[in-house]
Amino acid sequence: MIKTIHYWLKTGRSILPRESDDIKHFQFDQEQFQEMNKATRKALSRSLLIRHLDTGSCNAEEAELVALSGPAYDISRYGIEFTASPRHADVLTVTGPVTRHLKIAMERTYTAMPSPKIVIAIGDGACYGTPYERTYACLGPVDQFLPVSIYIPGDPPSPFEILSGLLMCQDILMGKTV
Amino acid sequence: MAISARLEIQALNQYLTKVLGEAMVKATSDSFNRLEVEVLPEQFQNAAGLIHHDTSLQASFTTMLALEDPIEPACFKIHLLFLLKKSKAWLTLSTRIKKERPVLPAISPLLPAAQWFEREIHDLFGIQWAGISLEPLVLHRDWPRGGHYPLRKDFPINQEIPIAEVSHQFHQPHAEGMHQVAVGPIHAAIIEPGHMRFCVTGEQVHHFDAQLFYTHKGIEKMAEGKEINQALTLAEHVCGLCAFSHSTAFCQAIEALGDIKAPERAVYIRTICLELERLNSHMADLSAICASGGYGLGSMQASRLREQLMQLTQHMTGHRFFRGLNAIGGLNQEIPEDHFAYMRQTLEAFQKAFKDWHAQVMGCDSFLDRIESSGYLSLDQALNLGLVGPPARGSGIERDVRVDFPYAAYTAFQPKVSLHALGDVFARTSVRIDEVYESLALILNLIQYLPKGSIYQKTELIFSPYQPAFSVVESAKGDLVHWVMLDPDNRVYRWHVRSASYMNWRGMVTATMGNNIVPDGPLVNKSFNLCYACVDR
Repeated sequence: MIKTIHYWLKTGRSILPRESDDIKHFQFDQEQFQEMNKATRKALSRSLLIRHLDTGSCNAEEAELVALSGPAYDISRYGIEFTASPRHADVLTVTGPVTRHLKIAMERTYTAMPSPKIVIAIGDGACYGTPYERTYACLGPVDQFLPVSIYIPGDPPSPFEILSGLLMCQDILMGKTV
Repeated sequence: MAISARLEIQALNQYLTKVLGEAMVKATSDSFNRLEVEVLPEQFQNAAGLIHHDTSLQASFTTMLALEDPIEPACFKIHLLFLLKKSKAWLTLSTRIKKERPVLPAISPLLPAAQWFEREIHDLFGIQWAGISLEPLVLHRDWPRGGHYPLRKDFPINQEIPIAEVSHQFHQPHAEGMHQVAVGPIHAAIIEPGHMRFCVTGEQVHHFDAQLFYTHKGIEKMAEGKEINQALTLAEHVCGLCAFSHSTAFCQAIEALGDIKAPERAVYIRTICLELERLNSHMADLSAICASGGYGLGSMQASRLREQLMQLTQHMTGHRFFRGLNAIGGLNQEIPEDHFAYMRQTLEAFQKAFKDWHAQVMGCDSFLDRIESSGYLSLDQALNLGLVGPPARGSGIERDVRVDFPYAAYTAFQPKVSLHALGDVFARTSVRIDEVYESLALILNLIQYLPKGSIYQKTELIFSPYQPAFSVVESAKGDLVHWVMLDPDNRVYRWHVRSASYMNWRGMVTATMGNNIVPDGPLVNKSFNLCYACVDR
C-alpha cells in the first residue's frame, strides 16, 4: 500500500516535462483569456471538461487520448474529464485535418459549446494539415475554421505531450504565465 | 518451388481457358504466382460468378478497383482480385470499358461482397453498374451528382465542390411503436466519426443503418504523381493502429515490382513488428470489449497491459506506432541486439500477466453472459459478405494470409490459425485471445532465430512502368491490400488501399440487426474492431 502511494506520488507530477523546453512551441491566444474574470478562470482550471472531436485523423491520436484516460496516465486525477456532450465542455480537442464531410458537424459542435471555450489542436494533422495535402475532400488544418488556442503537434503526440499541453491550459487559466 | 508453382499456374490457366471459353481475351502470368485474365466487358459478370462459385478453385474475393487504362487512354480498366487458396495463387480478373459509355453488368448479385466496391467505383470514377440501384457511399449526398468524379485524371486534386443542401436518406421506421435512435457522427466516447441509425421497438433493434466515410480525405488521389517515398509516408498515415501493416504492404508491393529483395534480418524484424502491432491492437480491442460489456476491471487491466506494449514499441522502434521504420528494400533503422533481450524479458512478463487477466475475464459470469450469443453472424453470412480476420475466423472461415499465402518470415514461421465456429462476440473475443498467445510465441521464436547482417539493401530503383503490383498483409483486423501502379518516371500512377475494416463493416451491420438490443451495438462494434480512418481514407 505504502509502495503504491509512493509510486503514485512519484508519477504524479515530477515526471512531466513542465519546466523543459518541450512546451515552448505551444501557441496561445492571450486575448481570449483576458476577457474572462479571475473567478471563472479559477473555477475552470481544476475541472476541465473536454469534448473530443475527430475531424479526419488517422486514429492514432484517438488511441493516445484513450490511453490518457486509462490507468497508466489517468488524467482524472488532475480534474480533467472527457464529457459526452459539447454542452458540458470547456475545452474542445480536435484531431486531424478538417474533411469536407465533417465541416458542418465540426461547426455545430463548436457552436453547441458554452462560452468561454478553448480549442486545442492535437497532432500534426490538426495543427498543420501534414502529411496530408489539400484535396477535394481534405480542407486543411483546424485553425482555418476554428480559433485554436493551444497547439500540441506530434505524429501523434505521446500521452505525456498531450497531458503537458492540457496542464498548461490549466496553468494559463490560473493566470500563470508560460 | 518455382517450377511446381509455374506448373500450377499453367494448369490453372488451361482450366480457366476451358471454363471461360471465348470470353477470355488474354492471360498473362508472372513468377510471383500471379495470373491475370482479361475478359470481355459483357462477360465480366459471368466470369466473376464462375470463379467465385467454382469449388475446385477455392477462390476468395480480395479486392476490386478501377483505374484509367494507361495503355488505351480511352478506356477504364477494372481489376478484380481473388486469392486461390488451393493452388496458392493470385488471380486477377480484368476488363476494359470505353470511357464514353462506362456501363458494366453489376457483379454484386453473384458476388455480394463486391457491393461496396461497386458503389465506391461509381462515386469516384462514374462507372455505372447495370442491374442494381446505386446509393452514394464514399461521397455523401451533398456532393453534386454527375460530372464530378475525383479519381479521374482530369479532375484537379484541390478542386472545391460546394456542399449541396441534401441529407442522407435513412431507412425510416415503418411500423407503429417503432422509433429511431440516431448516433453520431460525433460520438460520446473517444472514437472516430460515423453516423448510425437504429430502428427499435423498446430495446429490440430491427434495422440498423450506418453512414460512414466522414473522414474521407482522398489519400489515393493525394499519392498520384508523388515519388514512392512520399507515397510510403501517406501509406503509414492511412491508419494509426495498423500503420506498420499498411507500410509493409506498400513496401512489399513495390519490392515485388522492382524485384528488390529485402535482407533476411530486415524481413525478420518486420515480422516481429507486425506481430507486436497485432498484440497492441488486440489488447486495445480486448480492453474496449470489456468496457462495452460493462466489465470495468478487465478493461482497465487490459489497457494497462497494452500501455506496457506501447512503451515497448517506443523502446524498440522509437515511435509508438512504428512510423518511419519501413523503407523500400528493408528498414530505416537498426534495432540493437540488447533491445531484443529487453523485449524478450518484457514479453515473458507480459505473458504471465495476460494469463492472469484471461483467467479473471473467463471467470466473470456476468461478463460472459453479456458476450455469449450477442452479435451472432452465421458462416453463410460471413462468407457472403467476404469477411476477413478475426471476425471471419470467429464465424468458422479459415482465412489467414500468413498461412494461405505466406510473406516475410511467415514462410518459415507459420502461426497456428485459431478457429471458433460460434459466430458471436464470445467467439471473436476468443479468437483474439488465442492470437495474443500465438503472437507472443511467434515473436519469442523469431527473436531466437533472428539472423545477423544488414537491414537495408541499396539497389537501383528500376521499375517497369504501368505494371500492376500488389501485396496482401494480415493486419490485426484482417488482411489488407495495397495495389500500386507506377508511371515511367517512377511516380505513383494509381494506388489503391483496401483495408480489413472495409470488408468487415457490413458484417458488423448484419450482426447488429440480428436479434440484438441497442446497448449491444457498441459491444458488437468493438468485437469487430472496426477502424473508420482506413475505411474512409
